Amino acid sequence: MKVICDRAALLDAVNLMASIAPARSPKPQLSCVHLCATKDGDAGRLTLTATDAEVSLRLTTLNVDVNKPGEALVNAQKLQQIVAAEDAEATLTIEVDGDQIEVRGADAKFRVFGFPPAEFPPAPEFLDADDPRAGKIFTVQAASLETLVGRTLFATARETSRYAINGVLLSLKGKKLELVATDGRRLALARGHAEASADTEIACIIPSKAMQMASKLIDDPDENIRVAITDNQVIFGFNADAGEPRAVLASALVEGAFPPYEDVIPTDQDKRAVFDAAALRSGVRRAALLTNEESRGVRMNFTNNDGNSLRVSSRAPEMGEAEIDVNVDSYDGDAIEIGFNPTFLIDALKVVDEPQVVIEMKAPNKPGLIKAGADFVYVVMPVSLQ
Amino acid sequence: MSSGTEAPSRRQSHQSGGSAPSLRIKSLAALLVNQIAAGEVVERPASIVKELLDNALDAGAMRIVIEIEAGGVDLLRVTDDGVGIAPEDLALALAPHATSKIFESADLDHIGTFGFRGEALASIASVSRLSIRSRPRDEESAYTIEAAGEVLSEQRPESGPIGTCVTVRDLFFNTPARRKFLRTSQTEQGHCLETARTLAMAHSHVGFTVRIDGRERLNLPAGQSPKQRVVAILGEELAPRLIEVHADEFDDARGLALWGLAGLPELARPTLKGQHVFVNGRPIRDRTIQHAIQEAYRGLIEPSRKPTAVLMLEMAPAAVDVNVHPAKAEVRFRDSGLVHSVVHRALREALLRADLTPKWPGQDRGGFREFGSDRSPGPAGQLGSGSGGSVSAAAFADSFKQAVGGPDARIDYDALRSAMGQHVPEPSQEVGPIPVARPADRVLQVHKSYLVTQDEQGVVIVDQHALHERVMFEQIMQRLQSGVFESQRLLTPAVVSAPAQRVERLADLTPLFEKLGVEAAPLGPDTIAVHAFPTFLFDKGVDPSEFLSDLLEQAETDGFPSSSEEALHEIVDMMACKAAVKAGDRLTEQELAELVSMRSRYERASNCPHGRPTSIRLSIRDLERQFGRT
Repeated sequence: MKVICDRAALLDAVNLMASIAPARSPKPQLSCVHLCATKDGDAGRLTLTATDAEVSLRLTTLNVDVNKPGEALVNAQKLQQIVAAEDAEATLTIEVDGDQIEVRGADAKFRVFGFPPAEFPPAPEFLDADDPRAGKIFTVQAASLETLVGRTLFATARETSRYAINGVLLSLKGKKLELVATDGRRLALARGHAEASADTEIACIIPSKAMQMASKLIDDPDENIRVAITDNQVIFGFNADAGEPRAVLASALVEGAFPPYEDVIPTDQDKRAVFDAAALRSGVRRAALLTNEESRGVRMNFTNNDGNSLRVSSRAPEMGEAEIDVNVDSYDGDAIEIGFNPTFLIDALKVVDEPQVVIEMKAPNKPGLIKAGADFVYVVMPVSLQ
Repeated sequence: MSSGTEAPSRRQSHQSGGSAPSLRIKSLAALLVNQIAAGEVVERPASIVKELLDNALDAGAMRIVIEIEAGGVDLLRVTDDGVGIAPEDLALALAPHATSKIFESADLDHIGTFGFRGEALASIASVSRLSIRSRPRDEESAYTIEAAGEVLSEQRPESGPIGTCVTVRDLFFNTPARRKFLRTSQTEQGHCLETARTLAMAHSHVGFTVRIDGRERLNLPAGQSPKQRVVAILGEELAPRLIEVHADEFDDARGLALWGLAGLPELARPTLKGQHVFVNGRPIRDRTIQHAIQEAYRGLIEPSRKPTAVLMLEMAPAAVDVNVHPAKAEVRFRDSGLVHSVVHRALREALLRADLTPKWPGQDRGGFREFGSDRSPGPAGQLGSGSGGSVSAAAFADSFKQAVGGPDARIDYDALRSAMGQHVPEPSQEVGPIPVARPADRVLQVHKSYLVTQDEQGVVIVDQHALHERVMFEQIMQRLQSGVFESQRLLTPAVVSAPAQRVERLADLTPLFEKLGVEAAPLGPDTIAVHAFPTFLFDKGVDPSEFLSDLLEQAETDGFPSSSEEALHEIVDMMACKAAVKAGDRLTEQELAELVSMRSRYERASNCPHGRPTSIRLSIRDLERQFGRT
């Protein structure tokens, strides 16, 4: 195998590879990136694959000149370091001699010991839609998927023993696509659209890491992403319209039951405040300055007697207190005083593009509901106030 | 030496009832009465040593020699240089209930001598061949009297030094049954030696020599300071790990002065053997005091272990009843609450002031023995007044000696009080090393589990989890005083499965949970739903179901203490444990510095809430020794 690569394109690819391949593995082959150079007439292509046993990623770059097709298996981190370090070069030559990989620049030659390519696990398969093994398939626009992920991923739990909520629930009914994430204290739900056959119904949990990687792999907001869900895997194909996809991301699904999120979203809220999203975000953020470990929550006083207003206040023992008045566009319902973890509010307000947000409440010990447009719903549980 | 008369004790008359075969009641022969009394007083050779030493000390001896042969059965001899017994009183000394120590029953309310019953010599004489040779100061020669069972010899003059010498031979020659109950002579002589060591501890001004089968086993010079004496008996190598304790609580008759040496937590042992408590120079066992000691060390040692401590309490004779136990091993305090609080507070304050960081390697932890057993006094505990002891220590020792020293001024409370008041040594100069004052410049994390830093004395190694756990514990306890914890409600309750008996325990814990921001309720016979959980535990990544499940399991296995105070302790303990950094957590440089600085900011930072040490120190001295630089 001998290929001449555009260094910038190669670097993008090996960066992603190095982020997937585990830095240390009992089997050193698994810390490797698999390189495969093929030639179809004059068009050469280099395919790179890495996996961490749960998530695997295959990238194809066309910015290569393949002199001699072939395969190689080399430590992903080492390759990434070399490509990153050769920053004066426009192109790099990769030549394989047995299990050794030589990377050459104008004034540099690296010879890295690799492994027999056959020792690498098989790459994720991207099957044609009509292949019976392909599973349930839908297509989503990159921009839409990016928004959905951005509006939910932050709410997933980290390192909890309830594995199901370490991932994002993907639900598809016909063309209605929903992503849901929760950590047990708040829940984010984002709605979007997908192209699929009318009878498609999907509900599966995708690990946070894969969801994040999928969002990162988006290059062009207009490209289409084809998603295939099998019994135990999700496979994303990026830029799927052009035949062979640019990138294929496969991940094991999270097993387990996701909390019954539809039951958690309250429907009988009797207090409703409408805000300018930026004003509310700023108010909460400023009040959060005077919270600490001991007193995490901010107190929110909604009143409707002397004009609609919200006072957000905080008090951290032995530190100080803050009081911010936030303008309320409209308020319906009785006055209420309720406490929230400001981080949870800000997290949601950050991902809202809509100019207005709505907060709906019922009682100080009942969930608060934040809505932005029709496509974002966020449930946040209160904290007790002292 | 002295001896005495008292109405027949309740116990004797009670026992006399059942011994007549005809079931007719009659008076017992004098010998039998004394033998019965001996059953209480003379249990084994060591009890004789105790009685004779009490007498010698009451006689104001400055030097006492104890000789033991064949475990004390063949020979027991106690020789003192005290006031002696007048020749005409010698025979009376052997009569039961004849004593020079009390005169009327009102005297029993303020006993200032060690003996007072007047039954010791008579009892001993009834079960052995006893001879007394005594010469008061103003006599030109000594007189001797001998007794064997009931037979009393005439007293005869004999040459001898001033003082009294009591010789006991053939113990239990006439009560073979008792003799059978004796253990090997090794064991018996061990008990005798222990008795002498214990009494010697409380009488540092008196010289003690013990010879066993001709070999000198103990030799303590007269005129030692209390501290010198205690250290000489416990072992010089412990000196650096003993903290001086004192308290002075005088308020009319409720007076109580305390002096003692408390061992660092690392010296705690599985039994009470390391505890020596004296009241007015009398060794005693007392549950109140044991409890006070244990409480003072709470959180510093594992609860099953007993601290090492030598405590000397001085109080007005009227404040303590010593006439409650035949061997006087127990006493009754008029105001045991005061005793408890003084002991507890004094120990606790001393422990808080001291640097409790164990030395590395622990000398009693096996391994490294030769290297650890530092025979020379450590850097902190200079002892001998001649060998660089601090001035205040020597001065204190002298005044203490004066206060309790002279035979005629044995209990001079005013002098003692003023001595203690004037010369209370600064503990930091005297015993404990100086606490860490300046923050260590750099902290190294080793194996993501231990922190290595330095202080004035050397290298300090900290167990990151143990220290953080202790710090969290103190923080949570502190925070609890300012109110109920903030708590975060859960979207859907976290469900915990637990056996029914654990679910039942939940009701007991609910009131405490409310304070702590935990809301949990049974969901079914074997499930619990957690509805709300403290925000700070969420911040620390603690999982509500895991916490509840572990807590209920512990509540079941340890049988949680019923008092809510202790249960609270246990719950907070678990919160601290879960919230603390774990072994294996990598910490940033800032976190490392913060954690190490907490060492000096929190009470009892030297031990985690379970009592394990949080840090150990490898002193420069240890390092020098290891590298062969000394």
